[in-house]
Amino acid sequence: MYDDHSARPVSLSRRLLLQRSALLSGMAALGAGSYVMMPSESWAAEPIKVGFALDLTGPISVQGLPGANVAKMLIEEINAAGGLLGRPLQMFLEDTATNESLAVTRVRKLVQNDDVDVVIGGITSSMRNAIKDTIVSRGKKLYIYPQLYEGKECQPNLFCTGPTPAQQVDTFVPWLIKNTGKRFFFPGADYIWPHTLNGYARRVAERNGATTVGEEYSPTDQTDYGALVNKIMSGNVDVVFSTLIPPGLPALIRQLYEAGFMKRGGRVASVLYDESTLKISSTAEVEGVASCLDYFRAVDDPFSRKLHERYVAMFGPKNPLSAAGGSTGVYRAVKLWEAAVREAGSVARDPVAKALDHAKIADGPGGPAEMVPGTRHVRMNMYIGVAKGGRYEVVEKSSGPVEPHECGK
Amino acid sequence: MIPGRPMSLPMLRFATDRAVIPLIEMGLLLVFALLPFGLNSFWMAFATRVFILGLLALSFDLAWGYAGILSFGQALFFGVSGYAVALLATRLGITNAAVLLAAAAATGLLTGVVMAAIVLFGRKTPTQVFVALGTLTGSYVIDRVVRGWALVGGQNGIPSVPVATLAGVALEEGPAFYYAALVLLALVYLGLRALVRSQFGLVLAGIRQNEARVGFLGYGAQNYKGLAFCVAGAVAGLAGGLYVLHEGFVGPGQIGPVLSTQVVLYAMFGGVGTLIGAVLGTGLIELVGHFASQYWEIGWPVVLGLLLLAVITWRPAGLISFIVPERERKGRYGARKDGLS
Repeated sequence: MYDDHSARPVSLSRRLLLQRSALLSGMAALGAGSYVMMPSESWAAEPIKVGFALDLTGPISVQGLPGANVAKMLIEEINAAGGLLGRPLQMFLEDTATNESLAVTRVRKLVQNDDVDVVIGGITSSMRNAIKDTIVSRGKKLYIYPQLYEGKECQPNLFCTGPTPAQQVDTFVPWLIKNTGKRFFFPGADYIWPHTLNGYARRVAERNGATTVGEEYSPTDQTDYGALVNKIMSGNVDVVFSTLIPPGLPALIRQLYEAGFMKRGGRVASVLYDESTLKISSTAEVEGVASCLDYFRAVDDPFSRKLHERYVAMFGPKNPLSAAGGSTGVYRAVKLWEAAVREAGSVARDPVAKALDHAKIADGPGGPAEMVPGTRHVRMNMYIGVAKGGRYEVVEKSSGPVEPHECGK
Repeated sequence: MIPGRPMSLPMLRFATDRAVIPLIEMGLLLVFALLPFGLNSFWMAFATRVFILGLLALSFDLAWGYAGILSFGQALFFGVSGYAVALLATRLGITNAAVLLAAAAATGLLTGVVMAAIVLFGRKTPTQVFVALGTLTGSYVIDRVVRGWALVGGQNGIPSVPVATLAGVALEEGPAFYYAALVLLALVYLGLRALVRSQFGLVLAGIRQNEARVGFLGYGAQNYKGLAFCVAGAVAGLAGGLYVLHEGFVGPGQIGPVLSTQVVLYAMFGGVGTLIGAVLGTGLIELVGHFASQYWEIGWPVVLGLLLLAVITWRPAGLISFIVPERERKGRYGARKDGLS
């Protein structure tokens, strides 16, 4: 009854069930309460309360569950290392259930009942829109949104730790032109993120000398793309820059594959594809699919590798730590907030927001990250990954951290 | 009460028949009136939301429990009015709650008229299944339209609806909104209660039991159903407007089949055809869902689903049938006391 209209195909439900049971066993292994994680040792000081609002059930749960895992891992780590300002962290996790109406109540519980010091979460833009007032303007709390999104969220006390269109497109589109071809097609799901991102990517592509063969939007749950595939094939398209979402995305990839688009040298680019979404399609179909994200498993710096090992040791290989679902954003959210609290010497909203405005972390998934002062968005490394044999290979790393270009800067 | 009868008679009947519903009504009203003194701000907002969703459940109960119209698209009225209120408040800067709520009810009524014209007043008298699917489809269609329509925010909806004022008081989450919602719920409840116990309600009950027979008696059954459907639309619209003012945002989730189905479950869970059952069902489902999610954050929808399945399988008259006898639930009209309505 709580399924969104864009429900995943039935064949996935078994996988979801497995993933959920994996999370459950992970939680059991931690010996923590399922919804409130109390610090395990006895502390003299009052705990600092950290609230997480993630989609643990419903169609987006594939993205929400790894985020919850990352949160648990970090809270445990910080507590094991002596807590924050001499106080332990207490984690409050609420399921927003891919249902915005319900989520407002759940988030209200975090804000008013649990009186958390910060709220981290929301995956889809519609979710962020629904809960941000409850947290920021009505609840007077700090809110950190961890997912890649369409940009333009510029209000005090709302920080974003996911990649922006500029970060995902500025180096990626020129790379696509250079390595694949100049004829672009922009299919997308019919909502705000695809429209904004496609519009941005199209401008970058045309500025770099590419031709747009078409830009088309379809309902979020459409799975038959015969007409679109025809246009792509007859238009001699080189790059399909897709902002479709599952279940449309794997369907389009399969239909393009069957039509021979990949065989004749065409490439599908999707900045929503990461290690977990890659598995929806068969290995042959996604061979060569390109993406641009802040982290891939193949990123070869010692910290990212160790982080991945720790994650797998705690939660197993299901629900992998991956960028497109916002779990790397959750990592940056917690760690940047931690740095800000240490600098501010308090958990009160205003001093923390002031410190968070220029907070930095030296290590994170994919490298260091820092807030660009005055924008509440993160400057970080970006990687271009290409699928090969069912995994992503990093083919290009940005030369240093990439600017988010949001909020007037 | 029938004019001319001595005052003591209803009281006497009340005592002998042990009517339970009035007791529940009085009890709930008393509890709700005093509740804010024992609740923190979260639970007050939680209760306020239940009142608002309870209004929506009432509207479904009027349509299905009394007029026999299986409206699987009750969220359509709720959502369309919600969008109307959000647009009026954000685009035109109207923050007078009385104006906004009147607009919400009017929008709901209007949407009800349009839907009734399509679903109920076709060339042929529609069947139950046609009405159910027609209303469901209506809700689904508008859901899709809204998701793709940039003017109303598409998939993202309309956030940051300003706080409205009622008679100079800011309707913020908390006691002010709680009592405003409670008073509205009580007024609408009393209005609907009077409606279903009037001659009009008697005809509706007749239609629900045997539409053809009521037609043979000379009633335009379809007109009665249409009227009940439109009133239900207005009530759902009022609820939708109130919801947007309380939550501060509107999105496609408030218009589509998900909420439409949820409302059916609220009413079925509590017990249809009693009005109060719909309100109780709303509160119980929301509470069970909340606590289940606190203890089993990824399995709570399963718990809720199993519970609903159990109630609908073994207690089709809803939870209220545990305390309200069947004859009282069905209602009495005139002097007959054998419960065969």
